[in-house]
Amino acid sequence: MKRQNLYGYLCLAPWLIGFFGLFLGPSLASLYFSFTEYAVITPPRPVGLANYVKMFTRDRQFWASMRRTFYYAGVSVPLGILGSLSIAILLNQKVRGLGVYRTLFFVPSLVPIVASAVLWTWLLNADFGVLNQFLRGIGISDPPGWFSSRKWAIPSLILMNLWQSAGGTRMIIFLAALQGIPNSLYDAAFVDGANPWQRTRHVTLPLLTPAIFFNLILGIIGALQVFTAAFVATGGGPGFATWFYGLHIYKEAFDYWNMGYASALAWFFAVVIITLTLIQQRLSERWVFYYGA
Amino acid sequence: MEQKSMSRRKLLKLMGLGAAATTLAACQPEVVEKVVTKEVEKVVKETVEVEIEKEVETEVTRVVGEEPVEISGEIIWDTFRGVGTGWNEERISTFEEQHPDMTVEFRPLAGASQQENYAKMYAMQAAGDLGDVIAFDPSHYHFWRAIESDIIAPLDEFASAEPDGFFDQWYEWFIEIQYYQGELYGLPSWGWSGPDCMVTNKYDFDQAGIELPEPTSHDTSMDQIAEWAHELYEEGGEHFGLGLGYGEGQIVVLCRAFNGFFLNEEGTECLILEDEGAQEAFRWIYDMAVEDQILPRPGELDFEPALTAGKLSMYNQGSLHVRNWRDIIEDQEIEDRAEAWQILYPEREDGRYPSQLRGGTWNVHQGTEYPQASWEFVKHLSNTEGILGFNLYGGNYSTVRPDVMDILVARDPIHEWFLDSLENGIPARAPANSRGREYTDAISQWITIMMDPEEGMEFEEGLDMVQEEIQAVLDMPMPS
Repeated sequence: MKRQNLYGYLCLAPWLIGFFGLFLGPSLASLYFSFTEYAVITPPRPVGLANYVKMFTRDRQFWASMRRTFYYAGVSVPLGILGSLSIAILLNQKVRGLGVYRTLFFVPSLVPIVASAVLWTWLLNADFGVLNQFLRGIGISDPPGWFSSRKWAIPSLILMNLWQSAGGTRMIIFLAALQGIPNSLYDAAFVDGANPWQRTRHVTLPLLTPAIFFNLILGIIGALQVFTAAFVATGGGPGFATWFYGLHIYKEAFDYWNMGYASALAWFFAVVIITLTLIQQRLSERWVFYYGA
Repeated sequence: MEQKSMSRRKLLKLMGLGAAATTLAACQPEVVEKVVTKEVEKVVKETVEVEIEKEVETEVTRVVGEEPVEISGEIIWDTFRGVGTGWNEERISTFEEQHPDMTVEFRPLAGASQQENYAKMYAMQAAGDLGDVIAFDPSHYHFWRAIESDIIAPLDEFASAEPDGFFDQWYEWFIEIQYYQGELYGLPSWGWSGPDCMVTNKYDFDQAGIELPEPTSHDTSMDQIAEWAHELYEEGGEHFGLGLGYGEGQIVVLCRAFNGFFLNEEGTECLILEDEGAQEAFRWIYDMAVEDQILPRPGELDFEPALTAGKLSMYNQGSLHVRNWRDIIEDQEIEDRAEAWQILYPEREDGRYPSQLRGGTWNVHQGTEYPQASWEFVKHLSNTEGILGFNLYGGNYSTVRPDVMDILVARDPIHEWFLDSLENGIPARAPANSRGREYTDAISQWITIMMDPEEGMEFEEGLDMVQEEIQAVLDMPMPS
C-alpha cells in the first residue's frame, strides 16, 4: 500500500512541482511584493499599502487603462460569442465538404498571436494595407488609420481578435453543444408545429446556455487580460490608445522596474476578475438551463 | 541602435583586419601620439583593399596603453551586443592571443529586445550569476541605476595607471558619460549624435526645382524646412513633404534647433512652458501637424519605406539614417528616383549644432574576481580595432573614436556628414531620477496626443498637458 502511495505521488509529482513551483509560489510571492517597493536588483522593502494607494490616487494610467480594457472586453466578448455561435450553427449543417469548412474556420486560431498581430498590422496599415487599398478602390478617399488612429486602434484589435478566435475553441464548444442536443426535442417541437425560428429560440438556445455561459466566463477573463496583440501591434499607442491594463502591468514590472507596484496592480485586477466571475456565476442561475439536471 | 548586416566575405576580411591590427597594437608606444604610422598604413592596405588607399594619408591617434600586462584568469562576458556577427569571437581570440594566461567565456544574451536583455542582466545579478564584463548603458538609462545598485565597479584605480592622454582616444563627450559623481565606470561602446538632421530624398527637391544646400551646411532655417514641407505636400496626403517622429530624441533635438532645451541640465525639470526656444519648436510642429495638417499622423507612414517609395521627401532622424538609406537606394537600384541627402539643423546661437549625443558603455562587474583582467578586456573592446569591427561587422553603430571616424570617412566619404555633430554637438540630458523609460514613453505618447489633429487640442492646452505629464515623471523618486 505504501509503495502504491509512493507511485501515486511520483506520478503526481510533475503537476505538484508545477503547481507549487510555478503557480502558487510565484503567486504568493507577488502578493508579498505588492506590499513592498521592489526593483528586482535590490531586496524588497516593505511599504504597507502604499502601492495600492498610489494606484487609486497617483497613477495616471490606472483608471484610463482599466477603461480601455473594459471597452475592449465589452465589445469583443459579445461579438466573439455571436460570431462563434453563428459559425458553429453554419458548420452544424449537413453540407458537402463540411470537414474542410470546419478546418478552414479553425485554422486562424492556430496562428500564434504574435504572427497574427504582425499580419494584421500589414493588413490594416494606413498607407499600403489591403483594407485601405480596397476602401480607396471603392471611393473612400480618406479611410481610417486603423492602428495609427487613436479612435480606431481598439476596434482594429477587436477585429483582429474576432478573426483569430471566432472559429477557434469557442466555436468547437458551441458545435459540440449543438450536436449534444437530442433530436427528439426538435422532433417534438416540430410535431407541436414550431417553425425553425421557434425551434431555435425555444430548443437550441436554452440548451446552449451552459456552453454560452462557459464561453462567456472564459471570454471575459481572456479579454480582460488582453496584452500580446497590443504589445506587438501598437506598443500601447498611438497616444496611449491601446495601453491596456495588462500592458500597464508589464510596463511597470519589466520596463520601469516597479515590480512591487506591478504586483499590486496584478492582484487588484485578479480581485476584479474573480468578483466579476462570481457575479456572473450568481446571475447564471437566472438564465442558464442545464438539461436533465 | 541600428543594426547592420554584412556579407561573409567582408566579415572575414575585417576579422583579418582585427587580427593584424591587434598584433601591431602590441608593438605600440605607451603614449598618445598623433602620427601617421606606417603600421596603420600597412594594416589598412593589407586588409581593406583599394577603397582604403586614402587612409594612408589619414592622421590617426594611436591606441595607447596596449602593452600587454601580466594578467591571468577566467572572465565571463555577458552581452547582447554583436551576438552572431563574429565580432565577439574576434575580440576574445585576439585578447587571448595577447594574454595567453587569460580565457574569456562569452555568454550571449538573446532577449527579444535591448530592454529584455537588461531585465535578464538584473535577474542574473539577483541570482548572483552576472558576468565580469557587462554593459549598462547611460543612454538607455541603466548606467546610474546599476551604479547605485552596486552592480558595476568604479575603474579610476585602473585608469589612473594608464599613460597620460589615455582618454584622448575617444571623443570627449563619450568619455564624459562614463563618469558618475566624479568616478569612471566604463569605456565607450556604441555612440552617435542622435537625430541631428532631416533625412532627405534630394530627387523630390530636384523635381520641384528646389536647390538644397550642401549636406554639411547648417544654413537651412527651420522656417525654410517648414516652407518646403508645405511646398512638397500634395493634397489628400498623396505625398508628404515632411514626416515628424515624436520620439524623445527627435523632440529634444527639434527644441535644440530652436535654441531651446526640452529638459534642464540637472534632469529635473521639463522646460517647455518656460523655454522660448522649446515653445517655438512645439508651435512649429503644431502648426504643421494640427493647424495645416500637412504631416502624416503618427504611425500613418513608416518613414524610411515611405521615403523609398517616393511618398515622403524628408523626416527627422540622424546622419546615420541617411547613410543607411543611401545603402537601401543602392541595394534596390532606385537611383533614378532617389538620392540620399541630409539637411542639418541650423547652428544655434550658442554656436553648437542641434543634436543629442548618446552612447553606451562597457563595464566591469563589482563582484569580479579579476578586476584588472576585466579592465584590460574592456579596453580591448573599446580600442580602435574593437570599435572599428563593432561598426563594420558587429552590427552596431559607434562613432566614439576620432581615429575610427578617420578610417570610416576614408572608406566611405558619406561619414564626413557625421563629423560636425560629433565634434560640436550637444550631449543628451537624462532624467535625474533614472526614470528613463517612463520619460521616453511619456514624451512619445503625450506628444502624439497633442499633435493628433483628430484630438483637436488647442496649442496651449496641449503644451500644458505635455508639461504636466512629463514633469510628473521627473518628480518621481529614483527607483531603489
